[in-house]
Amino acid sequence: MIAEKLVQTYKVSFDQNNQELALAGSMRPQRAAEMADCVKLLETSLASIRGTFYVNVKRLVRLNNVAFHSLAGALLKAAEERPDIKITIITSSVIGWSTKKFGTLTAKNPKIVVEEYDSEFYPGQAFLEEGGFVPVLRTQTKLTWKHERAILPRHGLEPGMTMADICCGIGDFAVLVAKEFSPSRIVALDHSKSSLAYARQVASEFDIGGIEYIYGDAAEMLLEDGQFDFVSCRHALQIFNKPEMIVNELVRICKPGGRVYVTNEKISQCLGEPRGPSIEWTYEQLSKLFADFDMDLEFGPKSYQALQRAGLEDLRIESFMVTNRDGDAQAFADMIMAWEEMFAGGMSEKRGDDAAFVEKFRRGFEDHIAAALHPGGYAGWPVWVASGRKPR
Amino acid sequence: MDLGAGQTEAGEFTLLLEFDMDMAGFTSNWSYCDRLSTYFARMISHNRSDSLLYSNLFSSALNELLETVYRLHAPTGSFVCSVSRNGAKDRIALTIPVDTETEGFYRDAVVVLNGGDVSPRYHNALFSDGPLQPNIGLLELAVDYAACFSIEPADGNAIRLIAELTLEASAP
Ligand SMILES: C[S@@+](CC[C@H](N)C(=O)[O-])C[C@H]1O[C@@H](n2cnc3c(N)ncnc32)[C@H](O)[C@@H]1O
Repeated sequence: MIAEKLVQTYKVSFDQNNQELALAGSMRPQRAAEMADCVKLLETSLASIRGTFYVNVKRLVRLNNVAFHSLAGALLKAAEERPDIKITIITSSVIGWSTKKFGTLTAKNPKIVVEEYDSEFYPGQAFLEEGGFVPVLRTQTKLTWKHERAILPRHGLEPGMTMADICCGIGDFAVLVAKEFSPSRIVALDHSKSSLAYARQVASEFDIGGIEYIYGDAAEMLLEDGQFDFVSCRHALQIFNKPEMIVNELVRICKPGGRVYVTNEKISQCLGEPRGPSIEWTYEQLSKLFADFDMDLEFGPKSYQALQRAGLEDLRIESFMVTNRDGDAQAFADMIMAWEEMFAGGMSEKRGDDAAFVEKFRRGFEDHIAAALHPGGYAGWPVWVASGRKPR
Repeated sequence: MDLGAGQTEAGEFTLLLEFDMDMAGFTSNWSYCDRLSTYFARMISHNRSDSLLYSNLFSSALNELLETVYRLHAPTGSFVCSVSRNGAKDRIALTIPVDTETEGFYRDAVVVLNGGDVSPRYHNALFSDGPLQPNIGLLELAVDYAACFSIEPADGNAIRLIAELTLEASAP
């Protein structure tokens, strides 16, 4: 499952602009002499910089003691001989061993610091990863599935395919796909340990085996190139400040000829009647609130171009509206209630909004709930689906 | 370092995977250490709750053991590597052909590993000048992976080096 190419080889490169030496792959030499080129590049890079020198080992999957000993020797030597510099080593929690291993250098010389890169990765992380989000995701997926189960085949999902759901959250989508489309392999990746723990529990309670839940960073996945027929990423591009990084990774792990499938919202377009204007106002504010936290909840219609720019072909885009008339008005209302708590409660407070704003902000959510439960009401939440084929 | 050693009977472990090879064959190519540890890690990590993370850690640990054996063994005989599992615990057993000198190395190493906190030794070894100490991989397993080591005699001129590891808090 770990990239095959990494097994035999590693890459070292120095980026002068960022004063960053990046090591990636697998370094398991037999003799220290085999490290000579790498150590030389490390030394010449160090000689060329001022201030902080970054060593990026986020994608260094394997490292034996022979290699570590050589690297450590060169780094410690530089830290001692150059009082003017600091060395920052950037590790990834996904690798497992690296933060601890490189951390031994700090004990030896405090000028060498280790930062675990993905512990605070995307802007809204704190809001979305905390436990409160779980019930919202469950309800959302229940509601979107009614539409997506019919939409997915139009975007190329067929039984027996290998697939990956990236940013899987609590994994409900993977479970539903596993039941309905019997993929031959399904990997579900997320960066929230609590969501994954929940996902595993759900799968085991429902006795659904075979879903490979993986902790990982969607921006730098350790999955091999070109191994999935279908790669989905739902409601997630919209929360990253650099969605193109994620799209590139989705394309990378997709097989040539396979398809990448993304869904996103345009939250300002949520609607309802009665009390349309109050509802519209609140969702426009919600869109701005997310923007203040560097998240683009208007991403839905932009996803076409995002896939096009990533080089995909045979692009398809459509939208669907989750509504209170889909058969479960209460579930719709529950979802909006949870949004109100998370957004008008937690997030708006965090931005420092005053009480009058929060009250008006809340009213729109309440009107949306009322519209959903009203005997003649109509309440909607639109979602955009886009997919494209990776060239052969 | 006696975390649970002796708590579990050998019988409770189920064999997951075993591999044997002529020592001369194994030591003909350094990359076998990497390939074997990666292969084993992949094969046995599927039903751990985070297979990729587990496989990364397992591969790192097993590779250090294999590199140690690659360097220290008797020239002839058969090398066996097996992994068995008991819940969250995985047991790596290596049957290593030895002569007096290499047997002494493994026996002394295990005495040290079981003789209290070895982290100062490990850290010294990591940053020593000159060539690496041959026991560094074993020290790393004891310190970073909380491995428990033991040695059993094996048929012929061989020993069985056993390392037990718990790389994940609990089994799913
Ligand atoms: C809005 S949720 C959507 C979850 C799921 N796809 C769904 O539709 O219910 C976004 C998810 O992205 C995950 N995520 C955020 N940053 C990530 C990263 N760098 N790598 C992987 N997953 C990430 C979060 O943990 C969260 O589960």
